[in-house]
Amino acid sequence: MSPNDHEPTDDGADRDGSGRYRPDGGPRSRLADGGTALGRAEDAEIERGPFSRWVDRSIQNPQRVYRAMFYVAAIFFLFTTLFPFYWLLMVALTPEGQLQDIVFTPNGFNPGAFVEVFQTLPFHWYMFNSFVIATASTVLVLVVASLAGYAFGRLEFPGKTPMMLLVLLVSFFPPAAFFIPLNDLFNTPVSVLEPVMSDGTLYNTPGAMVMPISAIFMPLAIFILTTFYAQIPDGLEDAARVEGTTRLGALFRVIIPLSAPGVATAGVLTFIAVYNEFFFSFLMTDGQPENWAPILEGILGYQGQYEILFNLMAASSIIGVLPVAILVIVAQEKIVSGLTAGALKE
Amino acid sequence: MARVQLEHVTKRYEDVVAVDDMNLEIKDGEFVCLVGPSGCGKSTTMETIAGLTRPSEGTVRIGETDVTNLAPKDRGVAMVFQNIALFPHMDVFDNISFGLRLRTFEDEEIERRVETAAEIVQLEGMLDRMPDEMSGGQRQRVAIARAIVRNPDVFLMDEPLANLDAKLRVHMRTELQRLHKQLDTTIIYVTHDQAEAMTMSDRIAVINAGQLQQIDPPLVCYNQPANLFVAGFIGSPSMNFAEGTVVADGLETENFDLEFDPATVSDVGVGDDVTLGVRPEDVHLVRGADDLAHSTGAIEVTTDVLEPMGDEIFVYLLLDEGAEQSMEEDPMTSSDQLLMSVSPDTDLREGEAVEVVFDGSKIHLFDTSSGEALVHGIADRSGSEPGTTPTEAED
Repeated sequence: MSPNDHEPTDDGADRDGSGRYRPDGGPRSRLADGGTALGRAEDAEIERGPFSRWVDRSIQNPQRVYRAMFYVAAIFFLFTTLFPFYWLLMVALTPEGQLQDIVFTPNGFNPGAFVEVFQTLPFHWYMFNSFVIATASTVLVLVVASLAGYAFGRLEFPGKTPMMLLVLLVSFFPPAAFFIPLNDLFNTPVSVLEPVMSDGTLYNTPGAMVMPISAIFMPLAIFILTTFYAQIPDGLEDAARVEGTTRLGALFRVIIPLSAPGVATAGVLTFIAVYNEFFFSFLMTDGQPENWAPILEGILGYQGQYEILFNLMAASSIIGVLPVAILVIVAQEKIVSGLTAGALKE
Repeated sequence: MARVQLEHVTKRYEDVVAVDDMNLEIKDGEFVCLVGPSGCGKSTTMETIAGLTRPSEGTVRIGETDVTNLAPKDRGVAMVFQNIALFPHMDVFDNISFGLRLRTFEDEEIERRVETAAEIVQLEGMLDRMPDEMSGGQRQRVAIARAIVRNPDVFLMDEPLANLDAKLRVHMRTELQRLHKQLDTTIIYVTHDQAEAMTMSDRIAVINAGQLQQIDPPLVCYNQPANLFVAGFIGSPSMNFAEGTVVADGLETENFDLEFDPATVSDVGVGDDVTLGVRPEDVHLVRGADDLAHSTGAIEVTTDVLEPMGDEIFVYLLLDEGAEQSMEEDPMTSSDQLLMSVSPDTDLREGEAVEVVFDGSKIHLFDTSSGEALVHGIADRSGSEPGTTPTEAED
């Protein structure tokens, strides 16, 4: 031990006057009175309450605090996300007209609301519309983003980085900025569409929602897929091409299957985002189910001129969440590995 | 039907020329190794044949077809990659049959062919395994089976054995030769390992800096290297080189002189700067060199380090007494040192002063400035007596 090690010990021991001077600077935790590693000797003589004992133990064993912090954070997070659902369920179960005094239990019991939902409005129709719009957008996003991701991730071309930044820039725009020109555009009759749509406009068609929503969620998918496709070893693509695929064939037969977690992540994120989308869904149709109005319009449809059927709105909200919840549970493993991992061994 | 021809193939990248005016003709059924140091353009050459890279200039022909602008899939080639490149999401059967399934063969035909291919590479009973459940050697066999199952016109192999351990590599080497005999298909094989190239190929194409240096059968490359690069690259350990000047009665180098009559050697004139090349096994101790037909004058040297290999001993010889202290740049190209290989029963110690001679018929002379070979074997042409008396140090 070098002489320097003694110097602080000299000062410290004399200052606190404990008389427990340790010339060898030995571990203080071995003090006879059970003092702590960090506490001074006289601290141990103070009468301790439960809280200071807890503090003392925490200092000795910081892992306890981290674990406690984790539980507090997790419980807080679960509470803030799940409690609204719980309350939604309580509201849905409470019969109409007794909506006051719901605290933790429903004021009455009326599971029939989940059936009434479909009787009052063709809610299944709205769900079908949402499902079609979300699926179509997801497919469109995945196909286009796969091609873009292949180009950005696996090819070298001039202007690659500026183009990628430009693509990402699109996602920074607020959707409202696009709304007025798009709404105007979709209400303009286009002669090409006249054989398909009666009035030749895209308003009240899935196209009016699928196109703008896909464009808005495309950059994220491109970004995710670019990262994944870039990690597939070149040798595999070369092998596929020599074996008989085109570049595109190699993308679909080798690169996409090997990037399944990334594709699943991009797909599920897009599906959820489109399914939950409010702005375009609300404004691009007239709210009639036969005109491709999505779930959102269905839920708002229980809000009549003279009364608001809160219990049906709650029940329909829960029903509307179910498909997405099921999707997430099914794809959970892929999403988690897609969001966290990335490295793929050959 | 599967000759491969490269005509003036050049591949330029932004900053480098990877392949520089390559002309190559590979005959039907031939096993040709493209060999060269890393980054010499041999893999790029192969990629242009496979179609994975499009040459900046020049034509690639397979058979009679100009394939320069054809996609890889339309060229009738199969390729085995250095990193094996099995599709990790498919089992062995799907990997092998990948190319067949893309070409819409009948199911029974696919099954029959896959089984035959698996039999050739001895993979029977493993068809339902996944690549990550197999050893390196087995994966390599799957990759080879995937290549042979389509009956390609040309096999391309890009360092297929590089990732295998030494023992397996030697084993796979013989397997590949056996396979070549069995299939009788044109094989183009890229390697940086000259031993692999020597043992397997019908002809070796030595490439350096994107240019073809020599394409000849292995022993021709070994015995009659076309230039300094080939001489130094083929053969392990490498050839000894010594730069010198031709004088009236032979060659003068920094540390020793070699006596011959320049007039009897064509292409060599008095005053030329030439580089002498001699392989370690063509350097002999004077005391054991009586049976040499054309030995050169003796050279006094000091033994430095001995490397017993079991079947032979490599002896580093110092030509200059003072050189021992100077740990200068590259020992293999240094002209102060000679490497000699002798039989293992030779009685030699480190630091011993000995006299050595060269086998005159195995000496190579190269033009120092261009690197081109001038002559292979000088003593037989100079007509000097076998066992010439030791040359005295000339002034």
